[in-house]
Amino acid sequence: MSRQLHINVNILNAGVFGGSWRFPNTDGTASYRIEHYTSIAKKAEEAKLDAVFLADSPLLDPSIKHRTGNNLEPTTVLARIAAQTERIGLIGTLSSSYNDPAELARRLADLDHVSGGRIGWNVVTTAGPVAARNFGRTSEPEHASRYRRAAEFTERVIADWAGRTQFASPQGRPVVVQAGGSSDGRRLASRVAEVIFSADQDLDHARAFRTEIRNGAAEFGRSPEEIVVLPGLSTVVGSTEAEAKARRELLDDILPDAYARNRLASQLGISLDGLRDDEPIPAELLIHPDEAGGSQSFYRVVKEIIDRERPTLGRLLKKLSGGGGHRILVGTPEQIADDVETWFRAGAADGFNVMPDVLPSGFDDFADHVIPELQRRGLFRTEYDGMTLREHLGLGLPAVPAAAHERHLLDPYQEGQVISL
Amino acid sequence: MSNAIQLTLAVGEATGRPVDGASPVSLAEAAAIAAVAAEVGVAAIRLVDGGAGRTLDPTVVGAYLAGIHGGVGFVAEVPTTHNAPYNAARRVLSLDRAAGGRTGVALRAGGGDEVSEATVAASNATDAAQRWAEYALVLTRLWESFPRAALIGDQESGLVADDALIEPINHEAAFYRVAGPLDGPSSAQGRPVLVADLGALDPTAVARSADVVVVDRERVAGADAALTAALRRAGRSREDVALLGRVEVAADDPAAAAAVGHELRAWADAHRLDGFELVPAGGAEDVVTVLRGLVPQLADAAADSPPPTLRAAFGLRVVAEALR
Repeated sequence: MSRQLHINVNILNAGVFGGSWRFPNTDGTASYRIEHYTSIAKKAEEAKLDAVFLADSPLLDPSIKHRTGNNLEPTTVLARIAAQTERIGLIGTLSSSYNDPAELARRLADLDHVSGGRIGWNVVTTAGPVAARNFGRTSEPEHASRYRRAAEFTERVIADWAGRTQFASPQGRPVVVQAGGSSDGRRLASRVAEVIFSADQDLDHARAFRTEIRNGAAEFGRSPEEIVVLPGLSTVVGSTEAEAKARRELLDDILPDAYARNRLASQLGISLDGLRDDEPIPAELLIHPDEAGGSQSFYRVVKEIIDRERPTLGRLLKKLSGGGGHRILVGTPEQIADDVETWFRAGAADGFNVMPDVLPSGFDDFADHVIPELQRRGLFRTEYDGMTLREHLGLGLPAVPAAAHERHLLDPYQEGQVISL
Repeated sequence: MSNAIQLTLAVGEATGRPVDGASPVSLAEAAAIAAVAAEVGVAAIRLVDGGAGRTLDPTVVGAYLAGIHGGVGFVAEVPTTHNAPYNAARRVLSLDRAAGGRTGVALRAGGGDEVSEATVAASNATDAAQRWAEYALVLTRLWESFPRAALIGDQESGLVADDALIEPINHEAAFYRVAGPLDGPSSAQGRPVLVADLGALDPTAVARSADVVVVDRERVAGADAALTAALRRAGRSREDVALLGRVEVAADDPAAAAAVGHELRAWADAHRLDGFELVPAGGAEDVVTVLRGLVPQLADAAADSPPPTLRAAFGLRVVAEALR
């Protein structure tokens, strides 16, 4: 059959915008209750999506005063969803920086078994001093060493899964997911990831990224066809274009301003104090992404926007009000489907990690109107062919990464600096 | 007084060898057992951790089963080994919030974890009971770090939470350094129920943090007095802790169940036990037989609706008093 889209929904607490929790007819604290997640997952399963996705960091979001945050540990949510659904894939984010590999391998594999082979693990390194202090550190490990640990950690987890003799996985092993924005992240993605979440504003850049990841995988002896690249996509759906734009404007209006500025400053690792909304961001405030300690993907996207558009701070805040630097599509179901189809056919994406503007209403609109439009175009499944996440994603079971590949990560001058675990 | 009942269950392959005296049952069997347990008034099912490959991870099983049967509590065993305390506190509190205040953790004394040990200078501290006591303290403090009252959700003013009420714990001691706070509010029962086993631990180690203390037959003599004294020294009251006697039971015919029930109630009276932890021999069918035959002999038959929280099911305050 012809190639088809893969679509996940990112249950990002109340929705991707900072003011989502304040949207009219929305229960502002719904995302602090488990039913929020189970009901969205059931809707996703009805819509035949590949998976639900849970982002996560082990910390209290400093923005908690004005924005709802992720607040339930992912494996507990996914196990609850597994009990109440049958086919929807279940992808959770769990830190390679702040978990124990033996414990995490067992928990994820047991969860995969319990769910009937529907689990994916989004491998992240965790940045920032706030998380570090929850685990006894006074500051965060530097970026490159976080990724060295992530590579070693992932390898140990996968080897543990491959060695299991009890509680077998119906899909062979959980699916390994990664968000590979930085140089280090891309190497990790090419080496072990089966699904890559990316952040791209530009089609050509996204196509180049997908090509780079696949070529990188080939260098590790992997088949490029067995990597699924899913850019993040925020959506604002309206029955008319005017309605969609009005919805977007309302979301901007209800965004708490203090939150928006603080978030951007924290994400970039710089201070915005004293900078007015009607001023452009001075170029000297920004340095090379790999030198920043924060989120690499976000940093690169923001820098590209600044370089390309020279926006004022106020305009940048609005453009990024969805957070995470992902593209925001505002329009009718047909318009959104047009864009999705364009990126897909251009080879810029294998599908999307969809972040609705407001949960659950924005996702209801997406599932009820955009998905049927994609199905009408023959771009998306109308039924599940299989039961497991691998089957939904069209992935086989790759070979277990060999330890010897570790050497490819380092050039000769860095090798001596490898930290023993 | 009524007796609280905690049922021990090892969830894994039904054909596996016994774990801590409990024969493994499959996940589907566990779900059926949970339904019967709720029906007969069991306070909690303790999910035993036999280790990787022998039982399924108890926190995964607890979350899964609570998604199917909300009427009975689940107590997941979690060892200190391989679990950084922030992660364990967060996971257990998430379970408890998702279950509407019907979750507990049986913290098992063990070793450390890779993440925490990378941050604490190599020390001479190796005592498992001391580690347990410190770990348990961190758990309880983290569970209280984001009070329920702090979550406001005022859409008009744009205030999600009163962040002045959310406080780090800034713990720093021999085994662990944890800043906190947690990222979600306390549950309907305040804190998840913390279960401790006498034996590996003594009353002094558990007195500061435990809500339920389990003692086996060999150690039951004098346990109540020792626990009461330890609690008093820790500034807590015996009324705030449930003492359960652990007893292995076999599936018997109804007539024998009555006799066993009588004997157990007498045992509880003699040693001032607040209830029992039942360890059934045999597989799923035997567990159901024990539940239907024996539990009505032991539990308060007058209960007509499930207790609002796990704490209430153990005869404790519905919502925990703050330990700070």
